[in-house]
Amino acid sequence: MGSGNNPIYTGVPEKDVFALHFLQTLSNLRTQIPFSSPDKTKDRVKKIKKAAYVSMARAAGGTNRLWSRSLLHQAAKRNNKNVRLSRRRKRVTWPRRNRRDPVEEPAAERLRNLVPGGGAMETSKLMEETAHYIKCLSMQVKVMQCLVDGLSPK
Amino acid sequence: MDYFSPHTYNSSLSFSLVLNPKGKDKSFKFLYLLYMDLSVLERVKWLQQQQMVSPDFFEILGSDGREELKRVESYLGNNNDELQSFRHYETIDGCISRTSSFQIEQVKNNEENRVIALQHKRKTEGKTEKIENKKKKKIKTEDETESSMKGKSNMSNSETSSEIQKRDYIHVRARRGEATDRHSLAERARREKLSKKMKCLQDIVPGCNKVTGKAGMLDEIINYVQSLQQQVEFLSMKLSVLNPELEYHINELSTKQFQACFTDLPEAVSKQLMMVDASSFPLQHQESLDYSVINSIQTTTLGSKDQTSSGWEIHSQSLYNNLRTDSVSSFFSLE
Repeated sequence: MGSGNNPIYTGVPEKDVFALHFLQTLSNLRTQIPFSSPDKTKDRVKKIKKAAYVSMARAAGGTNRLWSRSLLHQAAKRNNKNVRLSRRRKRVTWPRRNRRDPVEEPAAERLRNLVPGGGAMETSKLMEETAHYIKCLSMQVKVMQCLVDGLSPK
Repeated sequence: MDYFSPHTYNSSLSFSLVLNPKGKDKSFKFLYLLYMDLSVLERVKWLQQQQMVSPDFFEILGSDGREELKRVESYLGNNNDELQSFRHYETIDGCISRTSSFQIEQVKNNEENRVIALQHKRKTEGKTEKIENKKKKKIKTEDETESSMKGKSNMSNSETSSEIQKRDYIHVRARRGEATDRHSLAERARREKLSKKMKCLQDIVPGCNKVTGKAGMLDEIINYVQSLQQQVEFLSMKLSVLNPELEYHINELSTKQFQACFTDLPEAVSKQLMMVDASSFPLQHQESLDYSVINSIQTTTLGSKDQTSSGWEIHSQSLYNNLRTDSVSSFFSLE
């Protein structure tokens, strides 16, 4: 899945990379959460969802992309058990605020809320990241769909 | 000496010759032309002619414009400095209006080509010119990466419009009636970049073609992202229900089911996943998804000689490299 005719590089790894990461994360989850507690389904759902996002961020390029980087940071902050992110010596540098020009673009605000790490990017960068994020999300959805289809009772 | 031949220029022509007062090292005379009805083509030709060494000068006169221009332009590589100083003069010298400007482009595709775009305001006759009523300004932007030196061709003449040249600067055209100060042009460049990216997004997001306008497209994109995220949540709910089956399947060393799931997942990967779970995970330590875990997985995969298909080896190598770069960086930062 190459960048195609895009002038911006939005290449995304193949499906099996996502699958690999997701299954690894799931298998790690399995060791932690025993499925003996049906009350905690919400918890499980949350954990699986988080595992999905984290594995997607890993598969999509780790720390090369802004959105994946901020996703992993968020995950590492909230719950240090499942995700261990390497501590960087240097802080992630955010671009200067004045570049973002908040006066002109109230429409991009919603997009910023959706895409992880969107609050710190300028708008053109936001578009790039959104494109890559969408591609990775769709890939992850496909992987999960495959898994569900394979495991659902026939 | 009459440098003009009457058939090439219009009758209502006035010009003034100003010698180079600064007296540069190379003794070239600079001619400033106050053109009234000169076409840009001839003006450029004239200007370039003045840069020429005199023996070639007479040859050029009277021949066809196209060949002349191309030949003459090839000489321009040496005379960049002089032409650059042109621009200074036009602002300093009082007898030259702001409107006298030429645009000179280079034929060669060298990387050190510089396009000197001067301001051209006057309306010219419609015979050869494409660009009329337009102002141009050179904007030096740092948006270009080092590798790509792209820019729009801004030569107004028809001959050179077909040539594709590489520039250092982004040339932005200001249309008639619009402001030409630096800020607004930079704004416009930024907006065009943004619209380009929106177009890329349009290709990715399905159903974006029907809606036009930035706001509509943004809404579509936002809806799409939201729907994708909801799908992820929904599927994770489903998976949480199915999870005992997942464990069951993982414990069984059956690769075929997983292969059915991921059709393009090579068999060895799923096998390896079984190996991962079946092998002794140190459960007390296994609290987090370390990079070291991934590393060990990959090393065991590569070390084993079970792989038969070469495609898997290549694939695993690429995967391993992908993961390895992350792990290497993590190890460096941890130490």
